[in-house]
Order: sequence, then structure tokens, then C-alpha cells
Amino acid sequence: MLISTLQFSKSKSQKRPFKINIRVVLSLLLVLSTVFVIGNQAFAEKDKDTLIYSWASNVGELNPHLYSPNQMFAQAMVYEPLVKYAEGGKITPWLAEKWTVSPDGKIYTFTLRKGVLFSDGTPFNAQAVKKNIESVLLAKGRHEWLELVAQIDKVEAVDDLTVNLFMKHAYYPTLQELCLIRPLRFMSPAAMPEDGNTSKGIKKAVGTGPWVLVESRKGEFDLFERNDKYWGEKPKFKKLLIKVIPDPNSRVIALETGEIDLIHGAAGHGAGQISLDAFERFAKDPQYVTGISQALATRVMAVNSKRGATADINVRKAIQHAVNKAAMVKAIFYGVEKQADTLYPSDTPYSNIPLKPFEYNPESAKKILDNAGWKIDSANKIRSKAGQELSIDLCFVGNDSQQKAIAEVIQGDLSKVGIKVNLIGEEEDSNINRQKTGEFNMIFNETWGAPYDPHSFCSSMRAPSHADYQAQIGLSMKAEIDSKISQVLLSTDETKRQELYSYILTTLHDQAVYLPLTYMTGVIVHKKDLKGVVYGPTKYEIPFELFERL
Amino acid sequence: MFQFIIRRFLVLIPLLFAVSVVVFLILRLGPNDPAMSYLRLSQIPPTDEALAAAREFLGLNKPLFAQYADWLVKAVRLDFGLSYVTRRPVLNEILYYLPATLNLAGLSLLLTLILSIPLGMWAALNKDRLPDHITRALSFFGVSMPNFWLGFMLVSIFSIWLGWLPPMGRGTPAHIIMPAVSLCLMSMSINIRLIRASMLENLNSRSVLYARARGLKERTVIGVHVFKNSLIPVVTAVAMHAGELLGGAVVVESIFAWPGVGRFAVSAIYNRDYPVMQCFILFMVVIFVLCNLLVDICYAWLDPRIRLAGGGDNQ
Repeated sequence: MLISTLQFSKSKSQKRPFKINIRVVLSLLLVLSTVFVIGNQAFAEKDKDTLIYSWASNVGELNPHLYSPNQMFAQAMVYEPLVKYAEGGKITPWLAEKWTVSPDGKIYTFTLRKGVLFSDGTPFNAQAVKKNIESVLLAKGRHEWLELVAQIDKVEAVDDLTVNLFMKHAYYPTLQELCLIRPLRFMSPAAMPEDGNTSKGIKKAVGTGPWVLVESRKGEFDLFERNDKYWGEKPKFKKLLIKVIPDPNSRVIALETGEIDLIHGAAGHGAGQISLDAFERFAKDPQYVTGISQALATRVMAVNSKRGATADINVRKAIQHAVNKAAMVKAIFYGVEKQADTLYPSDTPYSNIPLKPFEYNPESAKKILDNAGWKIDSANKIRSKAGQELSIDLCFVGNDSQQKAIAEVIQGDLSKVGIKVNLIGEEEDSNINRQKTGEFNMIFNETWGAPYDPHSFCSSMRAPSHADYQAQIGLSMKAEIDSKISQVLLSTDETKRQELYSYILTTLHDQAVYLPLTYMTGVIVHKKDLKGVVYGPTKYEIPFELFERL
Repeated sequence: MFQFIIRRFLVLIPLLFAVSVVVFLILRLGPNDPAMSYLRLSQIPPTDEALAAAREFLGLNKPLFAQYADWLVKAVRLDFGLSYVTRRPVLNEILYYLPATLNLAGLSLLLTLILSIPLGMWAALNKDRLPDHITRALSFFGVSMPNFWLGFMLVSIFSIWLGWLPPMGRGTPAHIIMPAVSLCLMSMSINIRLIRASMLENLNSRSVLYARARGLKERTVIGVHVFKNSLIPVVTAVAMHAGELLGGAVVVESIFAWPGVGRFAVSAIYNRDYPVMQCFILFMVVIFVLCNLLVDICYAWLDPRIRLAGGGDNQ
């Protein structure tokens, strides 16, 4: 065999080996290129009737009653609520034209809009509403976070267009929580599984909304088409293509090269659509139109009132005076996010109350600490009291560059007034664990934004697994705060409700258990060929139906 | 030969077993709690009750050994569990994204070979002259340039500046050019140097001297006696390059939004999607080992000394 192999190779290769190699290579190339052409169907060319957006992942199967991997912005495009959240917390009619609430606050009667069809032609009526809500109730365990699901007793279809929703208690945020993108929106009963339990999967994504999902290719794109049966104002674009682009830098390039038409969403680290640096660059470029949304939520740090030095209210107050937020907004956020001095901006419902901001003044901070007995000794730059060093643990997610930058600014500012800050950057899961156990002095947190604020966020302050609870647990009036939160959620009287919220928000502010940093915003970037690109009133709804091409 | 292949396949089994133990332990002994990741990805608030329920559901409350045994029993039947994020079977997901990656890595390998062989020969035949210097510079450049950086540079030149090539995605043949080039540059550069060195060694061998003495044409001498012998180390290198290219695809796919298994793995790592990470690593090990096996077989076929030393063939 040894000899035969040698002979074989010799006899074959002595005839002009070069030509054979080149021929092999060429034919291989030919085969390969044919494979490419056949394997990759040519992509539809860009046309004027298609708006192209991008998202970090596919939108999911779009089950209206479930969570990940369904993407909220896409669920909101296909499914609609009974009532909609408008600016300033106003609740407006949507699939329900009007509603009444019984005097005891326990029965909500909705009159449905006439002539609404699901995109498969099934009429939207009281039976459809009942089937959907009952389907959500079947999987109660999945929706534990949402008080409304726990509060619904039963639902009744009175006639074709009238629905009664019976509540266990008079739960005032019922209408607010009906606005949420999930789980209380409506899909066609014809697309629900036979047993009516959507938590195990759906047949097809069919809603009443302005868009219909027509094609999904995993890892590549999702394609939506205009719902021509839509009852409201129909979208200007015929198609909406959502490309899967996970990397924010690639998204920037995609916009520059016309692969996508617009960037719309959060800026900054993590789930952001675009980095703040890139946004800053687009803002200066006259070829692009950029925009910044209204405040969507508040970026805060929870300050622990039970653990170590921050158990002392004077230390917490000194921190409020010592952090230079204006500089932070300029250096880290390029002015895209605005400085926050209270937990909620004043246009959040029930939050327009007179709270006195802690102004930036390192001298007041020093004075407060001096008076509280935290002294600087000659050898050391760090204050101490009765042998205890004034040092606090600031915890953040290690690979979140934005949190890291903010943490470093705070560390610098606090060291100027004699407070030592230990930066603890960890994995996200470990960070969440600290929020649960309260092993922090300061930790990043954010409010939930409209329509959750203020009621859902306040409600969660009562749960020990939240950083808010852990931060507040050292307050002497914690029990009272919790009891007032419970009362406010069940209150039926508007004046009383405002009174309770004023107490809660004022107490939390005065006790300095939150260090508000910025009001988070979203950004918009597109070329000049689009118009009507705006932000919706809530964080996750993108009003694509309003956008048009010039 | 047949026995040789069988023997190599049998070695694969303890190897995979060892790798699976190591992967399992590394993922479990880290500071992260898979139950917490599971809840975070399912967007369920991590209350103590929810955590306990998730631990039980995921089998994390059992001793580590029992967890591994559970996993192994399923894995042997190719059931690697459901992804925490997509809630679909992990292996199906990986197989779905695999063709795009093989497409990209395969073309890169081909590019590596068809560019590096002529360039390496050119350099060797013109040792210490201009062509040698040019390819040397190219090789140093290629080895030093990280593929993600090259990717961004290519995009800014050919997509943003010149507008010739699409910057991302998959569709037309034009889409694959930049990802493939950024992926293959490093392997190509290494290969050029390898071929050059190997050619030079053979050029100075006695067989070449004798071939020339026999009055063979220079073309035959180079083509048969030098070139063919120089290819043997290249065959070995191809297995390494195949691994390099699959590994490099993880980064390049993310930059060019190429819907392959590498990008899927990156998002799984980012999300701490344990079942996917575990399956992906094992899968890559299998591919690596198979590539090496294939090369060993080729090698044994090309160079009988190896086969004979192994004692696997009947003479």
C-alpha cells in the first residue's frame, strides 16, 4: 500500500500539478457561489412603503398574555387595551368607549367600541373580552407581580358590547393597570388554543391593533403589515420591517448606511438602542433629526436606612447635598437625561406636591456631618465617629459602564466631604441578590415609569425582595408608610388618595432614602426623509402608525 | 485504517464526558445563581417563594452530583433542556443557527487556503526579496489586527464611505464578503508564514537537489517535490484554523448581525442562559474534535508513517 500510494501520487502529479489545482479551486468556487445564491434568497429591496426599524432580538411569538421572549413594543403593536394611558396619567377610551364604576368601587362596567374586528375578521365583543381575561386568570401564578390580576374576581358578558368586571376590593389603579401592555390585552378567540389557556401557547398572533405580524425569521427579522381592518387611524406605512441587530454600534452603522430608517428607544448601556456618545454625534450632524423624549422614569439610588453609616439620617442628608448631579448630567449623560431632585417628576399622577430639593452644597454636607459628630481627625481625610469610620458600600452591576461612571462620580464627590465610598461592582445576579437582602448602603434602582408610577412602584415598596423595602426598613415610620400604601391602593376618594400619596412621597423625600439622579429619557434619530416621529406616553409603546415618509 | 477511525471515535467518548463535567462544574460553581437568572429572564420578581419554586422546577435543590446525573441522562438522549430566554429546545436552536455559521466559517476557510497558498509560495520562492517583505508585513498586520476592529474598519470604508457593500445581515452574496474577510485574515496570515517556512525547508532538502540533478524542469521540482511535501503541515493547520474560525465567528457574527450560532451564544452568555451555554460548549468541542479527527484521517492517508506507527492498518 505504501508503494502504491507513492506511485499513485507520483503518476498523477507529474502532469502539470498547477493546472489541476487551479481547476479544482475554480470549480469549488463556482459550486460555492451557486450555493450562496440558492441558499440565501435575495432580500426584498428597500421600498418607500416600508419602514425599517431594528431591535436586539426577534419579537417572539407575540402571546399577549405572556412575558419574555415576547417583546413589549411589538405586543403593543398587535394588541390593544380597553383603556389607554395618555399624557399626564389621563385614562382615555380605547377598545372600551366608556365605562362606569359602581359606588363601592367593586364593579367596572365597560361599553365596548362598535365594529371593531380582529385582523382575522373575528368580531371584537364582550365574549372575546371575557375569554381573554379568563385565560389570564387561568395562569394566575405567572402574573403574581400584578395586583390587578389578584383583585379580579370574575368577568361577565352582559350583552354583545357590555362587560362587567367584578373586583374583590375597590382597587383604584384598575384602569391604570388595564392600560398595561401585558397581560390584559385581547387576542382573537379563534387564535386561542382549544382549552382557552393561552399560557401554554397560542395558534397565531391575531389582535385588533394597527399592525399584523406576517413573517418572522429567527435571528434576522420580523415583518409586520398594516392591518387594513383597523378601526382607528391606519398606519401611513404599508409594511414595518424590524431587523435583528443586537449590537448598538452596528445599529448606528445601519442607520448611517440606510439599512434601517430610525433609532427609537433608550440610550445608554444595556438594553439601549444607541450609546450616548453616538447620539451626541448624530445630534451635531445636520443630516439627521434627533429628539429626546419626556421623562419616562427616574434613575435613583436607594440609600439603606438600616445598615452601617447610612442608618444615620444625617449621613443620608449629607449625601444628598454632596453629589453634584448637574456635573453628572453634563459629563455622563450629555444632557440627554435631566437632573432629578425628587423621586417622581411633578407631572406623574399625585406627585405635584411641594418638596424642597436638597441643593448641591458640599459645605452644608460638611456642616451636617460635623454637627452629627462625624469628625475629621488630623491624620485622616475620612470622617469617623466613636471609632467607626464613615465608609459606605456602593453596589453596581460591574459590566454596566454607565452605572460604573456614575458610581465613580459619586465616590469622588463624597470623598470631598470626608465620606469613603467602597465601589462594589458585581454580576447582575449578585447585584439583584443584594437588593433582596439589603446588603448595601447605596444601590442603583429605577422607578417603573408610566403607567406603573406611582401606584405599582409604591406597592412594591412593601415587598421584602425589593431594594426599596430594604432601604426603608430602618425608618421608624416604615410600618406607617406601608399601611398608607395599602390604604391608598384601595381608596375610592380622590382627596383622601392625594393626602395619602403626599404623606408617602414627602416622608420618603425627607428621610432621604432615595438619591434621585436623573429623569430617564428615550431618544429618536432618523434621516430627514421621515416625519411625525414622536414618543408615546409610556416607555414601551412606539407609535409607528403616526410615522410617515416625506 | 478502519480500526484507526474507530479507535479515534472511542477516544471521543471519555473526552466529551470529561468536558461535560468541567463545563457543568464551572457554570455551577460560579457566583451566579441559575434560578435567579431564570427568574430575571422570565421577568418574574425574585421573591423568596419564586426562587424556591424556580429551584425546584430547575432541579437546583438536588445535590450537585444528582443534578449532573439528571442532566447527563437527558443529554445522552440529545435533550439539553429549554433555553431560559426563548423557551425552545436548546439543541434545535443551535442547529437552526448552525448553517449560517458553517456558511461563514466555510467560506473563510476556503479564502484562507486559496489566498495563503499562492502568497506563501510567492514569499518562499522570493526569499528576502520584495515579495517576501510584502507578505511578511501583511502577515504581521493580519496577526496583530483583532477581527472585530478589522470588521469595523471594513464597514466604515466599504459601507459608510464607499457604499459598496451592505454593512450587516445575511441575504445576497455581497453580505458575506466583509464578515468572511475579517474572519479569515488571522488564519490566512499564519498560514502564509507556515507555508513559506515549510517550502523553504523542502527547497533545501536533498530530494530537491537530486531532482534538479536529474534535470527535471524547475516547474516540476517546485510543483511536485516541494509543494506537495509542504502541504502536509498545512493539513494539520487546517484543523486548527477551523477551530479558530468557528471561535472568531462568535465576535464577527455579532458585529455584522450575522444570524449564526456564535451570535446566539454571545447573547446566551450575556443573559446567563445556562442550558444554551452548556450545550454550545459541548457542541463546539464535538466539532473541534471531529475536525481534528478528519485531519488525522487525511494525514494518515497522506503520510503512511503515521498510520503504521498507530498499527491500525494491515500491511
